[in-house]
Amino acid sequence: MVSDSIANASITCAPNVRDLGKKKRANRSAKLKQCKLDVRREQWLSQGKKKECLEEWTGDAIQWDSSKMTLENMELRKAMDRAEGNGHISSPSNSPISFNSIMGSNDSGTNCSGSSSSSSSAGCCSGNITEEDDEGDDDGCLDDWEAMADALAANDENKKPPVCPPPTQDLAANNMEVRVATAQNPGLESRVIPAVTNTRAWRPDDASRPQSLPNLTKHHSFPNPLDRRFMNGGIPWTSRNRIFNTPTSCPICCEDLDLTDSSFLPCLCGFRLCLFCHKRILEEDGRCPGCRKPYETNPVQGEASSEGGNLTFHRSRSLMMRP
Amino acid sequence: MIDFSRVQKELQECIKDIEASGIKVTPKGDNLSRLVGTIPGPIGTPYEGGTFQLDITLPDAYPFQPPKVQFTTKVWHPNISSQSGAICLDILKDQWSPALTLKTALLSVQALLSAPEPNDPQDAVVAQQYHRDYQTFVNTARYWTEAFAKTSSLGVEEKVKKLVEMGFPEPIVRSTLEAVGGDENLALEKLCSS
Repeated sequence: MVSDSIANASITCAPNVRDLGKKKRANRSAKLKQCKLDVRREQWLSQGKKKECLEEWTGDAIQWDSSKMTLENMELRKAMDRAEGNGHISSPSNSPISFNSIMGSNDSGTNCSGSSSSSSSAGCCSGNITEEDDEGDDDGCLDDWEAMADALAANDENKKPPVCPPPTQDLAANNMEVRVATAQNPGLESRVIPAVTNTRAWRPDDASRPQSLPNLTKHHSFPNPLDRRFMNGGIPWTSRNRIFNTPTSCPICCEDLDLTDSSFLPCLCGFRLCLFCHKRILEEDGRCPGCRKPYETNPVQGEASSEGGNLTFHRSRSLMMRP
Repeated sequence: MIDFSRVQKELQECIKDIEASGIKVTPKGDNLSRLVGTIPGPIGTPYEGGTFQLDITLPDAYPFQPPKVQFTTKVWHPNISSQSGAICLDILKDQWSPALTLKTALLSVQALLSAPEPNDPQDAVVAQQYHRDYQTFVNTARYWTEAFAKTSSLGVEEKVKKLVEMGFPEPIVRSTLEAVGGDENLALEKLCSS
């Protein structure tokens, strides 16, 4: 069975993943929790949220719903999601690998949402495969996965709860499913398509960009100075400045300031610039272009020192950016 | 890599504002990293009436590093080398800020022309003369402006226009000007004798 599943995986990706997702759902024990997740996700979707990172997404949801989730789990999960992102792009020959990671993320997903699955996320590959085996058995030992897929699809139609429509799986499996095998489930497709576009918009970017690029700067530098400036006072005129005097483009690189940039106030003199340019300046002489005074970099560096803190910031920021 | 989108924008800004500032920046060839700047001599100074050309080279890190600016027109000024045209100005060195632009940098150079700083000289000879014999300094500076900053102010197009107005056909004017190396008077002589 193990070899079967691997062979299947390497032949075609879509139905297999879908199967996985379906099985998971069939196995689901905590429906209520899942519904909650769904409703929340629907809310986010309907808010027309901008390209949110998929991993942040699921990470957040899980963080809210289960206090068991540890940072290590999140990180692992992140890595897996990323691996899966690569899988999206990679050639079919790579697909078994990406499957393993998908399974891995499924696995940790179940862990986190409180189901009884006991396999550790660290042992994802082997654990997943055996788990899949078990599920296959549960489903009645369907050897032919295509037949099984059809059956499950039919199952799905029947079982779909009216209130929480998109299958409440781990998003990774979900998206894959939607992406590849949608013909049989048009309704499903239309529902989750925003998530798919989100994934696509984010992923190639994410995969191609090293972690140390401005992404990180944002995480490091954004919340802190803001919090500091806005909570500790020294504020009135800067915030007024902020409202009336926010440039639409960075005076240094002439690129448009996005939401993050325009709420970023690195210096009390009120000179605004984008995070990219700010990072660049920090790497060089570290003086504000507006007043030539050195930027205060201490809080940023303190932030960078702890990996865990960084990660939480990452999350909290993504929450914060959600209007 | 130079931020060419910013340079492009700066050039547009310069063009938009050329009436007010008189400062011109044009690319030297296709590459935007080499530019030619032009500033009018400030009114009320010995440089009045002159048009000064500067050679601008943008480093790869521009705008995070200052542009390299130096006069190609000869200038008699304590803070400008009379030999090389090198400029002693803090904002082109350690006081550069990425918020400055080519236009503001050239405006500062123009301000330097009207406010020499002989105690921090680039050209010691000029600075000494400024201290010891200010009137001679003014005369020399004015002479240099007349001699070097005025002929160069006449672009080829203006010379062509002038000669065409005298009644010579334009293609011949152009080829003659080219043949004599752009000298208007030589071209006129040649045109008359042919």
